[in-house]
Amino acid sequence: MAPTSLSHRQTHNLLLISKLLGHRDTASPLTLLIDSLEQPATPLIKEYIRRAKISKVHVTLIAFETLKPLDGVDSFIYARRKNPSEIAKEVATAQQKTPTRRLILIDSINPLLRAQRANAHFHLPTFLSSFLIPSSPSAPKSDTSLVVNFHNDVPNPPAQSPYQPSPLSTLSFLATTVITLHSFSHILAQKAARDRSLAAPVFGLAEEQDGVLLGRLDKPIGNESTQGIVLEMEHRRRSGRGVLEWYILPPASSYPPNQLKEIVTLLDDHPLYRPPVDSGAQEGEEEPQSTFELGLTDRQRKDREGVVLPYFDAQQGDGPGEGGRILYDMGEEDDFDEEEDEI
Amino acid sequence: MPAQPPLPPLLAPYVSALPQSSLTLLSSVLGATGNWLILRYLYSALGAPVGDAAFGLHGSEGGRKRKVVLVSFLRGWEFWRSEAKRLGLDLARLTDKRQFAFVDGLSELFYTPTPSSQTTTTTSTSGPAPSRTVLPVRSQPGPLPARGVPQPAPARPTPTNPHQQVQQQSRGPGPVKRLHLSGTGVQALDALENDISSVIKQLKTPVTPGEEEPEILLIVDQPDLLLAATGPAKGIGATEMGEWIMGLQQNVHATVLALSADSPLIHNAAESAHQPSTPLEMESAAFAIGSAHRAQMVLQLRNLETGAARDVSGVLRVSKGGAWGQVDAGAEDKWEEREVLYFVQRDGGVCVFGRGE
Repeated sequence: MAPTSLSHRQTHNLLLISKLLGHRDTASPLTLLIDSLEQPATPLIKEYIRRAKISKVHVTLIAFETLKPLDGVDSFIYARRKNPSEIAKEVATAQQKTPTRRLILIDSINPLLRAQRANAHFHLPTFLSSFLIPSSPSAPKSDTSLVVNFHNDVPNPPAQSPYQPSPLSTLSFLATTVITLHSFSHILAQKAARDRSLAAPVFGLAEEQDGVLLGRLDKPIGNESTQGIVLEMEHRRRSGRGVLEWYILPPASSYPPNQLKEIVTLLDDHPLYRPPVDSGAQEGEEEPQSTFELGLTDRQRKDREGVVLPYFDAQQGDGPGEGGRILYDMGEEDDFDEEEDEI
Repeated sequence: MPAQPPLPPLLAPYVSALPQSSLTLLSSVLGATGNWLILRYLYSALGAPVGDAAFGLHGSEGGRKRKVVLVSFLRGWEFWRSEAKRLGLDLARLTDKRQFAFVDGLSELFYTPTPSSQTTTTTSTSGPAPSRTVLPVRSQPGPLPARGVPQPAPARPTPTNPHQQVQQQSRGPGPVKRLHLSGTGVQALDALENDISSVIKQLKTPVTPGEEEPEILLIVDQPDLLLAATGPAKGIGATEMGEWIMGLQQNVHATVLALSADSPLIHNAAESAHQPSTPLEMESAAFAIGSAHRAQMVLQLRNLETGAARDVSGVLRVSKGGAWGQVDAGAEDKWEEREVLYFVQRDGGVCVFGRGE
């Protein structure tokens, strides 16, 4: 890729992700996070909360799985054994006297999708839009973003009717941004396999090994630098055009909690994912180190360019070469070898 | 293999010092059961000798007092009592001292009692007991055979002295509580939750006034039996089970949840499976995977990939669960993921060692 378009993409897409994570300009009303046991969304959710705190956004956490409120959450709604309508009502009351910018996080939508109690009249799009659309037209216009986490490895509930789409397809149709999370060490292992044209390795549940739920191990993969999570982002613009990009979010311990500067980088810019090839290529072009002088001086180069090669000669047809025959004048240092000539 | 202390040093950081309101998932397969690990949790919380700080146990001194509630759905009281005895834990005595309580989810879970004997803490029988109260005790299936760990013949009382059995049952303020499942759906689970929380509450109330509230460790052994035995047809699915566990978690300091993770229970429901899966497969997979998402730490037991070995019982992999890092717990969260081998010896002792050690 040409350096100009790469740098353009860098600036543009980094701007986009900081807009998405920071909830500026209602960039994405509904963000869907797709995580798995191999890379849970917890670090990303904490990052959302951290950025919301910096820009003073009111944070609501609807907890289907979380027992204790996370740091920095303004209202914690415990959704255990509650009907969707009750949850929506609680969120509305919690947000009555809040500033206009709000962030609603749902720690996991799966329990709700599977719940026996909700099956009969539960309609996912209605439930989600009830958070985004103001309850009454007279209500002041608010700037609300919803972030929904979906565990991709939890089996889907059986469909009510064969024509009903699965919850994941419903969610991904509704979402304006879809972020799929991957573990950086797994991405590196898969890339290493791909580079050698091998089948990419699988981890955890995908291994289908008896008794293995999680495959991720810190230790064998090792050092500090492979920590971090890879975000595969798909953003749907209002125009309908989609933007696809891969980012890497470094671990929370590597930056101070009040850092304002963007910490997310493009995956392509990470030295471990794409080792700096440019410098390597330049080194290849340089002459190999040796005691001989392998270069040419200007005069030698000029002489070399002046040599008329036999096939040029042959094209003329009437030169001394007579059709490309190689004429060679024996010098006195040449040693004529009859046997070689016979071959 | 050299003898190791009851709590092997490699295991100690994972078994002791569980963070506040955390969930620890302990998954096992048929060939590598988790009983020995549950016993190690019991030992770490109850059996730590005073002054032995080598394992970083601050349960008996410095920290608050630790108590344990064990809810078992697959094994009865006799099994746990005799197994714990081999570690030097006298569960009956600890029950008397109100440091331990056992909730039996096995013996009478589907036995509908007459209304008068709801909780079967029959204290009234003084003479040789009528068969009514003793019968369930004797007929309890006890330790299931062939579950991997070599089990001794449990020291069950012979049928000739039911009197002793009854005394043991009725002794002390914390008798063995039996769970009964009745009704369907959330109501049935709520009833079970109430029963268990009442045991927890009993344990929490201080013996002497002014005593600090103890830290309660709740161990729920194989509640997937409950899910398998009821299922969505009875209004109990993975979500309801998960919420039931969450409800129990609210009452205690930390929770250890033991589940089966055998291939059919986990992988048949995956989308890559070629056959449509049954509701049981789906709900168990959703419950186990969902619990792993909610857990801070996941301990997975499995067989050795290379087949059975004479000096290795299985592999233990400790991983960070989906909820790890949710709360900044400070030093308590500083543990490393690792994979070790273990060997359960005939005397019940366990060796834990790294590969190649």
